[in-house]
Amino acid sequence: MATTTVPAVPLTPAVFAILLSLAEGEKHGYLIMKDARTSQGGGINMGPGTLYGSLDRMMRDGLVEETGESDDERRRYYRLTRRGQSMLSAELARLDAAMASARSRGLIPHGGRS
Amino acid sequence: MTTARFESLYAYALRFYPSTFRERYAASMRQALRDALGDNSLPRRTLIPLVLRDLVTSLTKEHLAMLRDIFARPALVFNALILTALASGLALALYAIPQQVLRLGADDPQIAMATDVVASLEKGGPTGMLQPGALPAIAGGSAQVDMARSLTPFIIVYDGQGLPLASQAYLNGQTPILPSGVFDNVRQHGEARISWQPILGRENGVHIAAVIQRIQGSNGAAAGFVLAGRNMREVEAREQQVRQMAGATWIGMLGVILVGTAAFGWYTRPRPA
Repeated sequence: MATTTVPAVPLTPAVFAILLSLAEGEKHGYLIMKDARTSQGGGINMGPGTLYGSLDRMMRDGLVEETGESDDERRRYYRLTRRGQSMLSAELARLDAAMASARSRGLIPHGGRS
Repeated sequence: MTTARFESLYAYALRFYPSTFRERYAASMRQALRDALGDNSLPRRTLIPLVLRDLVTSLTKEHLAMLRDIFARPALVFNALILTALASGLALALYAIPQQVLRLGADDPQIAMATDVVASLEKGGPTGMLQPGALPAIAGGSAQVDMARSLTPFIIVYDGQGLPLASQAYLNGQTPILPSGVFDNVRQHGEARISWQPILGRENGVHIAAVIQRIQGSNGAAAGFVLAGRNMREVEAREQQVRQMAGATWIGMLGVILVGTAAFGWYTRPRPA
């Protein structure tokens, strides 16, 4: 029977931001960088070197893959794999539990932005 | 700085990435920068320092990742460890074998001297050594050898209790006494070959290659003991030379293994299909 290993969490901020960005769908490099810069996307100021270095390792780990489709040969599009999706889910669950714990201890006001 | 100038500088900097990474991503990285430069929501004063910082950190990271990919391969590490173990064993043998030959050879004159003197004394008894000048007459050589300075072999005769009867050598003006355990051993086995550091010469680091033999009395018990000794200074200097040569050989072999492993790792590095 095939088993899916849930990758280890926590993730680095760059990997988390890339997974979060690609959760919306296929994207090319600069769109991922742009998403990551926003506060909803992780607030990570990532340059091209960090982005493609992270994507390279994430492809090796089977978290993302190239779509093989492109409107320009210099623009590569990436998408999440199932493994990437499960890793993102695990990380979000971990963060959610941490936020719930912080809220229950009164560290974050109820109804406040989390 | 104009956009075109910054882009061309960035393109130049991309040459410093590892070739595998560069071949795969340089065009995409340039495109990502071009997109960023064309994005009016990102001010240049923010973008340029960000890109420069990113260049430095990601260049370092990718080179480290490349080195890890090349050299952290189990087969390569295993081979290097095996070669290192072999080189270490060889260097140890290069030290240990000559060291033993030197040390054992240091006893040769003393064995002959002790045997001759014991043979002579077993005829007349060790008390004959009490007569002044008797010992040099039997053993030959000088009447007084400074054990701390001279390399000349010498003889000391002890009685059955281990007290000195006659001596060709002195240390700090006295005849040194052997530990009683040595006499017990010689009583039992007939001979002992030891490296002796007399208490009198401990502060000078005097080491003596000593051969001690038993003088058999007429009743079969030990009538006395003959010690033939020689300062080991010269032997120890040669041992030190051997140690240095073995050490240099070991470091040399490790260097060859390191360079060889690095070269082999580089030429057999994993390449993208």
